[in-house]
Amino acid sequence: MKKRVLGILLGTVLAFGMLSGCGGSNETEEQPAAEETAEEATEEAADTEEAEDTQQTETTEEGEEKGQLMMATTTSTADTGLLDYLAPIFLEDTGYELLWDAVGTGEALKMGENGDVDVVLVHAKASEEEFVANGYGVERFPVMYNDFIVVGPSEPIAATEDIQAVFSQILEEQLPFVSRGDDSGTDKKEKQIWEALSLDPTGNPNYLESGQGMGATLTMSDEKQAYCLTDRGTYLKMKKDADVALNLDIVCEGDSNLLNQYGVIAVNPEKYPEVDNEAANAFIEWICSDEIQKLIGEYGVEEYGEALFVPNAGTDA
Amino acid sequence: MLKTIINEIFSDVGVYDAIRVTFQMALTSTFISTVLGIISGLALERFSFPGKRLVIRINRTLMGVPPVVVGLIVYMLTMRRGPLGSLELLFTVKGMILAQTIIITPIICGMVYTYGNKTAPEVRTFAKTMGAGRLQTNLLILKEMKHEIYFAIVSGFGRSISEVGAVMLVGGNIKGHTRTMTTAISLLKSQGIFTEGLTLGVLLLIMAFLLQCLADFFRKESKEYENY
Amino acid sequence: MKIIDLKKEIGQFHLQVDYLELEEGCIHGFIGGNGSGKTTLLKLIMGILSPDSGSIDYNGLNMKEITMTSQRPYLLHDSVYENIIYPLKIRGIRPEPGEIAEYLENCGMEGKERQAARSLSSGEQQKVSMIRALCFHPRLIMIDETLSNLDPDSVDFFEKQILKIQEREKNTWILISHRLSEIARICDRVHVFHKGKVVESGPAGEVLFHSEVPEVQRFLKGELLIEKEVDRRRIR
Repeated sequence: MKKRVLGILLGTVLAFGMLSGCGGSNETEEQPAAEETAEEATEEAADTEEAEDTQQTETTEEGEEKGQLMMATTTSTADTGLLDYLAPIFLEDTGYELLWDAVGTGEALKMGENGDVDVVLVHAKASEEEFVANGYGVERFPVMYNDFIVVGPSEPIAATEDIQAVFSQILEEQLPFVSRGDDSGTDKKEKQIWEALSLDPTGNPNYLESGQGMGATLTMSDEKQAYCLTDRGTYLKMKKDADVALNLDIVCEGDSNLLNQYGVIAVNPEKYPEVDNEAANAFIEWICSDEIQKLIGEYGVEEYGEALFVPNAGTDA
Repeated sequence: MLKTIINEIFSDVGVYDAIRVTFQMALTSTFISTVLGIISGLALERFSFPGKRLVIRINRTLMGVPPVVVGLIVYMLTMRRGPLGSLELLFTVKGMILAQTIIITPIICGMVYTYGNKTAPEVRTFAKTMGAGRLQTNLLILKEMKHEIYFAIVSGFGRSISEVGAVMLVGGNIKGHTRTMTTAISLLKSQGIFTEGLTLGVLLLIMAFLLQCLADFFRKESKEYENY
Repeated sequence: MKIIDLKKEIGQFHLQVDYLELEEGCIHGFIGGNGSGKTTLLKLIMGILSPDSGSIDYNGLNMKEITMTSQRPYLLHDSVYENIIYPLKIRGIRPEPGEIAEYLENCGMEGKERQAARSLSSGEQQKVSMIRALCFHPRLIMIDETLSNLDPDSVDFFEKQILKIQEREKNTWILISHRLSEIARICDRVHVFHKGKVVESGPAGEVLFHSEVPEVQRFLKGELLIEKEVDRRRIR
């Protein structure tokens, strides 16, 4: 339904664009019915836009406003809609408005290194520890994890738990595989797995590097009917919401190599006095609280039938 | 040799191939667009037909069409389940050339039409007084507009070489295959490697500059009659 | 060549030529006030404009053998030489050696073959277009005030050239000019235009000196007065 309304809206806009190009812009007189449809569609479009927007600028009447918290994070937290879900609650609970820029882990950490943001929420443990060790971050706190899965056509690889078997078969049979190749957390994870299995994927001529985000890489895998390592959240969301439904199945899940730990780090105020450390600490404390951890654990169950993230704050992950 | 040097300088994002793909794509699409744009631009100037004003307006609108929209349309046409899916153009240089041609042709067509409107009627009248045939007349129009056409081509090429949205969508930024200099810059930026991205950007500008110099060199001979 | 019932409407202006015969092998002069339809008729003959009704009987003359020059001629974005040989080039004819250099020399433009045509003065541009029209030997040459900006020596040269070529090739010429002395010197027949109509047509001597048509008399009187006025001032 939603898609059809959007389609009608698109058609209307195109038609108006042409008409107004022709002469004058007196399009005030319109069929009331059409107007209603257009209004509905606009509302819906606005909703979608908000959800897809990388920055959340919502305000609320309740609670006192303390200011804005700038966060650099990975595409997966934004793409899965988790942040859209959490931001209003954060505003209500603490009075801070959460703004974020969703980029690759590499760039997110770079933004932290440059003092452009107050806090980073990423998933590349080694890089995060280095970030703290170099004095850019105060301390790393684990927040949650999700798991990676290998998706692709169900032939010739049969679904299994054994990542070694899957990756070996891809290499041996030179099956098409699309890698992110963008040095993001997911990309690093994939490279780590190849390395841990002592396999060299570059020997496969059908091993491609998309250099793009998870969503674009998934659609490319779908187009090429290739295998791909992805986080479960983005896969589930795209499987459900994409206009052209992904024709990719899960061929590997559950291997211990496939876990993906998220950490949150406040940017060091000693290095960059202008960062809002108070807000960053408020966020860290808030996201690690039992109440929010519980919310994270429930997110996605209703919509996708399974949780997208597993909270694990307070552990040493 | 050159490949090793270039790949040494930059991070492992396949810069050498990106340069090759960029120029292969930009030159091919500019060439196709030039042929299509000149023919359609001159035809638009020459013939009147019902709805011509609308066509011209649409053409002007398309001159400023966001490349990413064209990219999306071409993507949807060429994807596996799209109407042109069987041609297997998605994530290939051919697909990128198709998208680029759609972006550039209206620019060249619009510019040729505008210049042609100013020049062609006069040239046509002149050609008639000289007893020139139809082919000779059209060749003369092209010759008399050569500087304007050259400018249109340069504009189209500039647009093509600098474009990132459509080639990212249609090409897919696949390393070694469809990665261009601009999408490589975008990738480097996403990895937080800003200086290399900037260096590649400067390299892109230098190469465009050199290409212009080369084109000017071939144009020089005719230029001495241009001091009006 | 005959023009029969020709009508052309351009905005407020109406050209209507019921019948006009332009004898071949003659030099015709078109005279008349501004906006009287002289140039419009030339354009109709040239085929640049198409008539609303009526027809032109070219009497077997090929359109490629007709040329026309104007007061502000079109010059190619190229050298003087390339401009002059253009009509020869499209016919696959080589220019006779020295011919063009001689022409240029005779009208005070020696050594300017390689100069950019569009950088010339308007008088020189007119000369280039005249030479261009003379060089390829068309059967009908229409000269629309192209001699208006030239120095007296060059006017004299081109007038003599026209007479010489006409004598040799027996081709047809139509000359539009406001200088009645020029018309009188070289034209065999004169046609007077007034408000889109040809009001008088006949041998030069008769039309210029013995016309009984009131519009012609009025026009000639006015033109002659201006010429006399100019002459008197010059003499003082």
